[in-house]
Amino acid sequence: MQTRYNKAFRDLTSDYSKNFMLILAIAIGVFGIGSILGGYGVIKREMTDNYMSTVPASATIEMEESLTKSLVDSVRQFPGIKEAERHATLVARMKVGEKWYPLLLFVVDDFKNKKTNKPFFVSGEHEPATGAMLVERTAFVVMQANEGDELVIKTPNGHPQKVKLSGTVHDPGLAPAWQEQTGFGYITLATLHQLGEAQGFDQLRILVSEQPLSRQHITERAQAVGEWLKQSNHSIHEIQVPPPGKHPHQSQMSAVMSIFIVFSFLILILGSILVATSMATLMVKQVRQIGVMKTIGASSTQITTLYITMIVILCVVALLIAIPLSRLAASLFYNQIAVLLNIEIRNNSIPYWVPLLQIAAGIIIPLAAAAFPVIRGSKISVRNALDNHGVSQKHFDENSWAVKFSKLSVFSETFRLSVRNVFRQRSRLTMTLGLLAAGGAMFMTAMNVSEAWNKNLKRIYVQRLYDLEIKLNNPIHADSIIEKIKSIKGVKNVEGCNQASTSVSKSNSVEVTNTYPDKGHGSFTMQALPVPTRQLNLTLAEGKWLNNSKANDVVLNQNARGSFKIGDGISLSLDGKPTVWTITGFTEDVGAPATAYVSLEVFSRLTNTSGQAKVLRVSYFDRSKENAIRKNREIEKLLEKEKISVSATIPVWLLQNAIAAHMKVLINSLMAMAILMAIVGTLGLMSTMSMNILERTREIGVMRAIGATPGKIRNLVVWEGLLIGALSFFIAFAFALVLSTFLGRFIGNMAFRTPLSLTISVVALIVWILLIVIGSYVATLYPARRANKITTREALAYE
Amino acid sequence: MSHEQNKNLIELSQVTKSFPLASGTFQALKEVTVNIQKGKLVAITGKSGSGKSTLLNVIAGIDKPTHGSVLINGVHVEKLPESALATWRGKNIGVVFQFFQLLPTLTILENVMLPMDFCNSYPKKDRKERALSLLNLVNIKEQADKLPSALSGGQQQRAAIARALANDPPIIIADEPTGNLDSQTATSIFELFAALTKAGKTVIIVTHEKDFSGYFEDSISIADGVVVNEVVNA
Repeated sequence: MQTRYNKAFRDLTSDYSKNFMLILAIAIGVFGIGSILGGYGVIKREMTDNYMSTVPASATIEMEESLTKSLVDSVRQFPGIKEAERHATLVARMKVGEKWYPLLLFVVDDFKNKKTNKPFFVSGEHEPATGAMLVERTAFVVMQANEGDELVIKTPNGHPQKVKLSGTVHDPGLAPAWQEQTGFGYITLATLHQLGEAQGFDQLRILVSEQPLSRQHITERAQAVGEWLKQSNHSIHEIQVPPPGKHPHQSQMSAVMSIFIVFSFLILILGSILVATSMATLMVKQVRQIGVMKTIGASSTQITTLYITMIVILCVVALLIAIPLSRLAASLFYNQIAVLLNIEIRNNSIPYWVPLLQIAAGIIIPLAAAAFPVIRGSKISVRNALDNHGVSQKHFDENSWAVKFSKLSVFSETFRLSVRNVFRQRSRLTMTLGLLAAGGAMFMTAMNVSEAWNKNLKRIYVQRLYDLEIKLNNPIHADSIIEKIKSIKGVKNVEGCNQASTSVSKSNSVEVTNTYPDKGHGSFTMQALPVPTRQLNLTLAEGKWLNNSKANDVVLNQNARGSFKIGDGISLSLDGKPTVWTITGFTEDVGAPATAYVSLEVFSRLTNTSGQAKVLRVSYFDRSKENAIRKNREIEKLLEKEKISVSATIPVWLLQNAIAAHMKVLINSLMAMAILMAIVGTLGLMSTMSMNILERTREIGVMRAIGATPGKIRNLVVWEGLLIGALSFFIAFAFALVLSTFLGRFIGNMAFRTPLSLTISVVALIVWILLIVIGSYVATLYPARRANKITTREALAYE
Repeated sequence: MSHEQNKNLIELSQVTKSFPLASGTFQALKEVTVNIQKGKLVAITGKSGSGKSTLLNVIAGIDKPTHGSVLINGVHVEKLPESALATWRGKNIGVVFQFFQLLPTLTILENVMLPMDFCNSYPKKDRKERALSLLNLVNIKEQADKLPSALSGGQQQRAAIARALANDPPIIIADEPTGNLDSQTATSIFELFAALTKAGKTVIIVTHEKDFSGYFEDSISIADGVVVNEVVNA
């Protein structure tokens, strides 16, 4: 090894604590990137693989009648169709304890030879007997049951009956049941009939033979099949074409991941700024040595190479630590996400590009950050290097505001000196403030966004003035039952309304929606409300709310808005027929799929259901969850007694839980990022304080020589740290406001299609202030101790 | 003494060196003209702030003159770019500092090998042997594998001299090399410098110490940036 590299190596090994901090700073960033990208790489691959392995139907054609086997065989021969299968999906209810939960029943024609949307067998029976049901693995939690147990089920037209849970399947095409607060069951047609339903298979699932990932091609083929069926005198309700090849939560997950990736790169950049400040420290310490080396013949290039080598060694050590740990964290991360997406990690290999990117980022970014102090240090003239005695005097004059401020009589001499010391090295102060402020800003942003998210979730209760939504299987004349519900003690109000699935209809073609087979994701609903309604208080983004019960006005929420404008006409399908409406407003709803709000009166006229309701909304005086559970039970009993066929009862608290569960991982991860930011920020402060003390060793010796006690020196250093921390707080707060606005907009739009309102988390403010105070104190303890450990003689002789 | 020996190795002509200060420009050297012959042990003397260290720095190429020329061994040092200057200095000037300035994380041996590494002046395989022979020359060979902090001041200065000789430069300059040493050690260092001149090196020393004036062949006295006395023994 060349002699100069011995120096590089020894310098690195001579100051373990300092270099450990540098390695830690780089390692945190590399670890963050590796954990997130590693997790992302695996999840992205596995999500697609899992979903595609179920062979998701390219399209589902919903018929108004049952499909015969021969008709399905004919469709299978249709040009451009690779496979066809009949199916049925039914929303039933299941009794869990004393509560009723929605249960989505998938009626399968042939369990052994299922061609599309194939669930994977896990345990128990492969094919359920009549009166039995296979259960999606995530639904047992909601059912509070195990395989082999019996569950009470009620279909829209049947009586409550016990069904045996005879087997377990895994359906990666479905979101976890606990997330949707819904049960998922797979039954035969015979079981469906036994449960009291007369219907047959009314869904035709098709697979296209070409361009399986082209939505346009799939739509064309599905419409062609639909037209052919219509011409063959079959009635079609709608065609569902979910986004091809995309898991129901894929776009959501990609957006979440993109935030994490941005944050993890920010952590690496912060870590690199820390490396830069630390390299600046190193250069300060080495400046005389550089002078000596130049005197004995070293060129600037040789010196730059020497210090670059040192950084590369630090980076390599950091990578060696961070990469294996990040793989471990990535596995925790993707396993957690896999649970949230209901997918199985079949191949847990992290894509090769992740470690490559970590290596590139873990070397290039710190090198780029440290390049400036290294090059500046290497280019210092021999004269300046040899004359270097530490901190420069040039920034100080009597008129500087720092001096004037510190002269205030309320301050002690020690504090005055601390104030002036803080401003002695302004470029370093700027870098430290930048580092701490960035850390603080991101910490507060994460907390602000988290709080804004919770606040937005609570808006569910503000927008929905009802506490229980009861969906009925058939429209009923509801006046009598409404009065009976109203008479229950604690009930504030009851309103009857109606709803139907809809889509924007185009002339003479069969209606095409984006709905997934779970009937929830991608759906578009028309809600018919009394005008005025007392059960909804939606946030109006533009235009006006429904105010004319007789007008064909429609208000669209943000998920249905598209490119429409106020005053536009819109044709919406209703029972397969186009109906024409005028858009009067746009709302921003929390937790609602694409929805069009219309007048109940007009809706009833169009559907010939005048005076009837298919949905009942009940509000209570006491809106607590505990009261809602009690009241819901009373109402359920009443409906049972009145023999009203209920399709689903959805308490608002359940809806809130379901939405919260969807984004839980995002919020938790944001908090984890915030903690990492806080660590990097504190390390940065520690580095700066070390540097400040190091270059003033001689000065401290002088102070000690003229009588400064160790306590005074410590106070001086600690005050400096606290002052820097305090200054950074104000900058961090300002940045946090801007960042929170943007991130809140991004997450809000992603989750709710509406921005989260700017929220300032008081907890974040307090925690960050505490962190700054404690962090600054802890960060200065070591340099202060070091300053006091050097004897006065050593300090004065320090070169 | 032969004609060759009397030839000027160093020629400073009308050298002025100014430093900008907040209070105005400070002239450390004012039109200094000095010639130094090869193989001499030369003293530069003067009070603190007189400009003697600046003169030494100009000779070493550490400071560039504001005006005037510095011709050393046929090379106009003031015209060399910074990049070429480092290599030129490494090969032609050995510098000895008052505070030794050995690199603290390298052993004594490695400190001596370092200039050869930077200037690529000797084949890699020969460097260790050369460094050891230089340490032997300054009588600290047995300290070769120690770190500088383990050595006394005198031993460190001997190591610094060995380092200054590493690339076999014709000129050694030393800025108050004994200022930090006791008189006995200082004497031994001056004896070492005297021996070096006998071996053909030109040694220029900035010093305050009058006790060692007997060692010097020539001397240059400076006051307020001007050469006030120059003694040259033929």
